Amino acid sequence: MVVNKHFSKLLLGALIAAGISTAAHAGKSNDTLNVAIDRELESIDNYYNTAREGIVISRMVWDGLLYRDPKTNEYLPNLATAYKWVDSKTLQFDLRKGVKFHNGEKFDADDVVFTLNYLADPANGAKPARNVNWWTNAEKLGEYKVQLNLKKEFPAALEFLSGPLVMYPNEYYGKNGPEGMALKPIGTGPYQVTSVEPGKRYKFKKYDGYHASSPKGKANIGNIVIRTIAESNTQLAELFSGGIDWIWKVKPDQAERIKSQGEFTVKNSSTMRIGYLNFDAMGRNGKNPMNDVRVRRAIAHSIDREGIVKALVQGESIVVNSLCFPSQFGCTQDVPTYDYNPEKAKKLLAEAGYPNGFETPFLAYRNRDYAEAMINNLNAVGISVKFEYLKYAAFRDKVQSGGAPFNFGTWGSYSINDVSAITSHFQSGGKDDYSKDPEVIKQLGIGDTSVDANVRKAAYKAALSRISGEAFMFPLWSYNTWYAFSKDVDFNPTPDEIPRFFTAKWM
Amino acid sequence: MSNENIATTAVTKASIYTRFTGHQGVMIGAFIVIAIVVVALFAPVLAPHDPYHQNLLTRLIPPVWDSRGSWEHVLGTDHLGRDYFSRLIYGARISLLIGFGAALISGLIGTIMGVMAGYFGGRVDMVVTFLITVRLSMPVVLVALAVVAIVGGSLQVVISVLGLLLWDRFAVVMRSSTLQIRSMDYVAAAQAVGCSTKRILMTEIMPNVVNNLIVIATLEMAHAIILEAALSFLGLGVQPPLPSWGLMVSEGKDMMLFEPWLITIPGVALFLLVLAINLMGDGVRDITAPENRN
Amino acid sequence: MLYYTLKRLALAALVALTVSFISFGLLYLSSDPAIAMAGETASDADIEAIRQLYGFDRPILVQYFDWLQRAAAGDLGKSYYFRTDVSALIGERLPTTMTLGVCAITFAILLSVPLGVAAAIRPNSIIDRIALFLSVMGQALPSFWFALMLIVFLSVSLRLLPTSGSDTWLHFVMPTVVLGYYAAPAIMRLTRTGMLEVLSTDYIRTARAKGLRPPVVLFKHALRNAIIPVVSLAAVQFGFMLGGSIVVETIFALHGAGFLAWESITRNDLPTVQGLILVFSLFYIVLTFFADLINAWLDPRIRIK
Repeated sequence: MVVNKHFSKLLLGALIAAGISTAAHAGKSNDTLNVAIDRELESIDNYYNTAREGIVISRMVWDGLLYRDPKTNEYLPNLATAYKWVDSKTLQFDLRKGVKFHNGEKFDADDVVFTLNYLADPANGAKPARNVNWWTNAEKLGEYKVQLNLKKEFPAALEFLSGPLVMYPNEYYGKNGPEGMALKPIGTGPYQVTSVEPGKRYKFKKYDGYHASSPKGKANIGNIVIRTIAESNTQLAELFSGGIDWIWKVKPDQAERIKSQGEFTVKNSSTMRIGYLNFDAMGRNGKNPMNDVRVRRAIAHSIDREGIVKALVQGESIVVNSLCFPSQFGCTQDVPTYDYNPEKAKKLLAEAGYPNGFETPFLAYRNRDYAEAMINNLNAVGISVKFEYLKYAAFRDKVQSGGAPFNFGTWGSYSINDVSAITSHFQSGGKDDYSKDPEVIKQLGIGDTSVDANVRKAAYKAALSRISGEAFMFPLWSYNTWYAFSKDVDFNPTPDEIPRFFTAKWM
Repeated sequence: MSNENIATTAVTKASIYTRFTGHQGVMIGAFIVIAIVVVALFAPVLAPHDPYHQNLLTRLIPPVWDSRGSWEHVLGTDHLGRDYFSRLIYGARISLLIGFGAALISGLIGTIMGVMAGYFGGRVDMVVTFLITVRLSMPVVLVALAVVAIVGGSLQVVISVLGLLLWDRFAVVMRSSTLQIRSMDYVAAAQAVGCSTKRILMTEIMPNVVNNLIVIATLEMAHAIILEAALSFLGLGVQPPLPSWGLMVSEGKDMMLFEPWLITIPGVALFLLVLAINLMGDGVRDITAPENRN
Repeated sequence: MLYYTLKRLALAALVALTVSFISFGLLYLSSDPAIAMAGETASDADIEAIRQLYGFDRPILVQYFDWLQRAAAGDLGKSYYFRTDVSALIGERLPTTMTLGVCAITFAILLSVPLGVAAAIRPNSIIDRIALFLSVMGQALPSFWFALMLIVFLSVSLRLLPTSGSDTWLHFVMPTVVLGYYAAPAIMRLTRTGMLEVLSTDYIRTARAKGLRPPVVLFKHALRNAIIPVVSLAAVQFGFMLGGSIVVETIFALHGAGFLAWESITRNDLPTVQGLILVFSLFYIVLTFFADLINAWLDPRIRIK
């Protein structure tokens, strides 16, 4: 233990005697859960931020028409009591009666229609665009009935309506807009916002008027305070000193040691995020070794994924062979795989005309130690790299403008449990696509637009197999998140990496 | 002050040597610096392992004095299983290069600018003040970030960037010191006699500002070395896997509360180097102007 | 005097202009503002739309002058990240940094000047050794390490101070010590050196010979002269603190202008960075101006020509 417990207990006793408060933030005793996040939110308005923390808050403060159960992945009714596919491009919803927003406004079809039409208008700039650009408009069919008209067949529609698409109050938002919502958010969710210090601190209180029939259930913990603390050591110090009760994204080495100290509860959960290597198969960045499939396969054989997962990534992470996360709809592990085989790698390189290896640029924006471990693997088969470690914005810039023939990235799919949220993003001919293979694009197109589950699965399988077979991209491993929190808190992480504070309670 | 300085220039070599070896501070400082230089030069011989060799199975092993440590890795291993002792030894090269390189470049730039400004005044002073203010207003991190984004981050880039950014204190201090000296009688006397500007600068101004120069130089050398550590912390300094002490400190940051030796060991090395540089700087100043000692 | 002030003002404007142009250029070279503005998940079409809408496809000089025009009128634009007015954003965050800076430089001066004087009066004594040691510590200790060590000891272990945040004055104690401590060595060393030199000069000997009491000699004559380069340096250090408090603000979760500057730079939030740089450069100009005035007052021989 870093701090001398005996000594500090003595001092503590003296201090208490001197009347200095040491339990200023004791979570359980004043029914307040103090949470720390590591970045500043651009805006607490759900449609104007893109950070995961924004997603977490949106589930607390607002509701969607449906709600995906994190355990069963079923779509349960929330603000909508029923839905119906009138045809493959039209959805109808029956809405729940008796729901009130935090400011007393009544929830009805006007709110749904207003929200969906507001989002559909590109001039409003709701983020991210892919969440809101798939329907043309919403119509009011009755006080508690609406219809959503899609632009095209969009099988992931329910996935979006059960998660990121939350309903806003039409009167309030119409009057105050995003600026107003950013300072004083109003929703129907289990928590209401009591204070906003933009980017610094957000305070929440249990909403007693929350509709009892919600699949989320009523909140247990009375108050929540979310603070931004950028430095991980400071977060840990706050946890140790009792100023913070709950943190996440703890580094694996730190989590291991906190766990062994036994003073806090430490839990791990897998996430939908996977890591990958992207190769310039088509020559977007000019002629380079990555154009050759044998080189790409050689690299695939040279990376010790199991070793890296065991030593560095740790937790519940696994090696993945398909460019998707196993739980996502359409994802299959039944694709060509590459074992860790440096000898084979060297042979393939020699075949491709690089018996002595070559030098290549290599880009990454996170997990520098994993990158270094991979560079080490590459060096072992003769490949040397010119490593560029950039901030995410600069990395994305360079990749999307064709300047990165070989890069290491990750993708979390925004916790959308569907292959279209990842594979199609990278291999449908978009800015991140360095192969633009016609066959892959075709199959992904079929998968993205068909509403027949079997057709989708078959198409995605074909696409994923070809991607792995030709090594257009090389899937590495899944990511996991470590949570550390006070022993007074009863909290269970979910595999979609969206902590649900409304289900947490005091021990 | 002026009379004594004229006397100084007539002092013989021999007595400077004895004063050097007699000054405790300078000897300790020189000893440490020389030791570090020797370590840097003979790194391949002294280091027990390859500082770049990774071994994911032997990560984060503590130094030998901990119960989990062993003599195989005297100072333990880092988060990628690399031998810390070897990295420390090779790191000496980088820290020394950075300290001396950056201080040299920035010292040259800053002194020339500051002395010129202080002596000539008028437009020269305006231009220099302008440049100093521009330089101070530019955030170091922004320049470093942009440079790394455009040119990439290598050791030479880091030294150049630091050299081109750290001249401000030199300039500011040299300028105000020169301003003070310039108005002294003996300078006016030299001017009246018709001494050339160059001669005045060399024989009247420089010897009298050199004390402040040495103080600032030692500060900036240490500053450059520490700044490299700060830049590494932000990802803009020397790039991994290079074993710079600054980078080792920032790589150890995440484990700070649990395995503090990851930071303490390179931290102590940095501290010793900075201490030695300061001792030498102070000592050299004392020796070359001993009449300043009471 | 008036002429001097006008000259300095003109210089100030020129500095602000130069700095803002350089930083504009640097930011441009290291990122694409359309992508920065569009955000992480925008599609090609989104980015193109933004490029057109905000005129990011115009030549860089045109864009710069556009920004300049508006800035001169007081409109610093809207942050790409927060979508709020940059001036409001800076106005919100700057007071924290200013408070921290003033406290830190005060702490640094109160710590280093007396120490430097004491060390100069008794060179090579214990005081001198301690001063040297503290000075080296101040330079060699990485500030993040010092900050976190203070937190562990004073906050986690002894529960004397709050760990992070900026709610009460107690929250500023540790950050002040860390930031001020970083500025102290230079001030201390320079004071010491200056005092040492001055104490051995003719006019000091004369003052002593005249029978003036040591404290009078010390303060009225010696310190006044020795302090001149220190004043300039202190101004520089204070200015440095405004921008260089990034690490301290990050670790203590102070959400000031320093933290905002770093985060904005990495997020390519051009308007915010430009706004902050403008504000910082104005501060420097004012600071160096006052430093020169103080110096001129201290030593009438330094007439600003």
